[in-house]
Amino acid sequence: MMTQILTVLAFLLMALGVWGLMSRRHLIRIIIGFSLLDTGVHLLLVAFGYRSGGTAPILSDGIGVSGLVSGAVDPIPSALVLTAIVIGLAVTALMLSFAVRMYARTRSIYIDKNKELKW
Amino acid sequence: MVITAIVAVASLPHRRFDATYQFFLLMTAAGMQSVVVTTDLFTMFVSFEIVAIGVYVLIAWERTAQGLLASLKYLFLSSVGILFFLLGVFLVYRDLGTLSLLTITRGASASWTPRVAASAVAALCVGIGVRTAFVPFHTWLPEAHAWAPHPVSALLSGVLIKISFLAMVRIVVAFRAVALQPLFVWLGAITALVAVVWALAQHDAKRLLAFHSISQMGFILAAWGAADALAATAAYGHAVSHALFKALLFLVVGIAIERSGSRDVFRMRGVARGAPLLAVGLVVGAAAISGIPPMNGFVSKRLVSAAMYGSPAYLLLRIAAVGTVASFLKLSRVLLPAPRGEYAVADGRNAADGRQSGGVPTGMRLPVAEGAAVAVLLILVVGTGVVGPQLAGGAARLVGAPAEIPDVYRPSGLVDTVLTVGLGAILAALVLSPPGRRIGERISAVAPQLGTVLVFFVGGLVLFALVPLLAAG
Repeated sequence: MMTQILTVLAFLLMALGVWGLMSRRHLIRIIIGFSLLDTGVHLLLVAFGYRSGGTAPILSDGIGVSGLVSGAVDPIPSALVLTAIVIGLAVTALMLSFAVRMYARTRSIYIDKNKELKW
Repeated sequence: MVITAIVAVASLPHRRFDATYQFFLLMTAAGMQSVVVTTDLFTMFVSFEIVAIGVYVLIAWERTAQGLLASLKYLFLSSVGILFFLLGVFLVYRDLGTLSLLTITRGASASWTPRVAASAVAALCVGIGVRTAFVPFHTWLPEAHAWAPHPVSALLSGVLIKISFLAMVRIVVAFRAVALQPLFVWLGAITALVAVVWALAQHDAKRLLAFHSISQMGFILAAWGAADALAATAAYGHAVSHALFKALLFLVVGIAIERSGSRDVFRMRGVARGAPLLAVGLVVGAAAISGIPPMNGFVSKRLVSAAMYGSPAYLLLRIAAVGTVASFLKLSRVLLPAPRGEYAVADGRNAADGRQSGGVPTGMRLPVAEGAAVAVLLILVVGTGVVGPQLAGGAARLVGAPAEIPDVYRPSGLVDTVLTVGLGAILAALVLSPPGRRIGERISAVAPQLGTVLVFFVGGLVLFALVPLLAAG
């Protein structure tokens, strides 16, 4: 059940993100749109690995390997998402720093203000 | 491919950039190696991002507004693309429980429902397709390649797009998505043609080269899509020779732009004065990309023609080849001596004229490091052309299927080339005439917005997903 809710939420976020990317002209808002899309994809991955009422995938006393296989959340999607989040962070930081530089250069945060630059 | 990366990197550091620049350069190079050697889809994703982050910074290195904007554009498009890739990775993991390309190649995908398989492969291909820059996804490339610092352009155009092409090849092969191959032929042919039309319309020397990168990727893609051993050899051969001669061209044109202080093909004149190496480099590069013997471009283009012969897409490729010749005649105007309004012919004589007559005050000598980089690439371009057939034979054995390599230096091939060059010269004259220029300006004014590109994006995704489904019935 949880997985379904999360999946729907993830697709909602992704749609919102794509819409934001396509319709906005404000540089910061485009970046927010991208962040939403990013988060949506991550959420989708986590949602798939999640198991309702599952335990953390850590070997400890009382839980054997078989117990983990039957009861724990799949750790691989979480691990992948952790990596993807870090990458997403780096990319977003880069986008924001470029946006700041753009503003410093052109005194405008709207991407289509500057006519000689083709967007 | 690995060798090409080394070559491009080796030709780069001779510039006045500082250590941070070198750091990002090495990071990019490491990422590219990693993309090629990894056998795991998620690692491929991480490597792609390593490459990308290095490249974003490098493109914006000169901190001009155009450079920043070009980099931002690339940043948005390729980040969204790579998110689609991640989505594809997710679908693969959900249904197959593995991310290893080796396991998938061994037949894990046999048990897959066609619909999910098609959408997963489509997501993977489109994600990388943005980096490869074939036609619906190409819009970032001319900006990024044109505004990057010159050696970075050489790296980007020579190696980076080949790397993503290679990754795409590996994915399609691993998933046995044979149904996608005709799509690649057509996309490749259309890419080759459309990009050449845009290239002909450009005034900006570097942007002209950038459009040619797209166009040559079209050649490679189409040849690879033809899917027999000869075609695959031709595709890889052309990828390698394009990497060499495009790196050469970007370096030479970059230096020329610095020396003449203008990016406009119609304003740059007499750039080769005091630096004959520059002229030789430009002429050799232009000859290689136009497919004139004995450069490597000639060998690999003949192979592509041989592989594609008889297919309807072949016609499109031929037209694109003529266009290539035409636009490089246009580019070679920069060798003309100062203001004289006639059309250039790409031979050494013009270069000699340029050295002797007066004009733009740029008669300084070439820095040693730049000269060395140009010379090394020059020797490689000519060398791989002369021993090209033998190299292609070796490459065919590497690909696995021993293909019959046709003798490219046959008289009929040469006649063919002369024909192409002749048509190209006529086309160049047409384009350079006043009505041609007006049309060109109209064409180059057409530039899709980011939103439109994203629509293309989704369209491409659907296309890639539908084609195998329709082919399967």
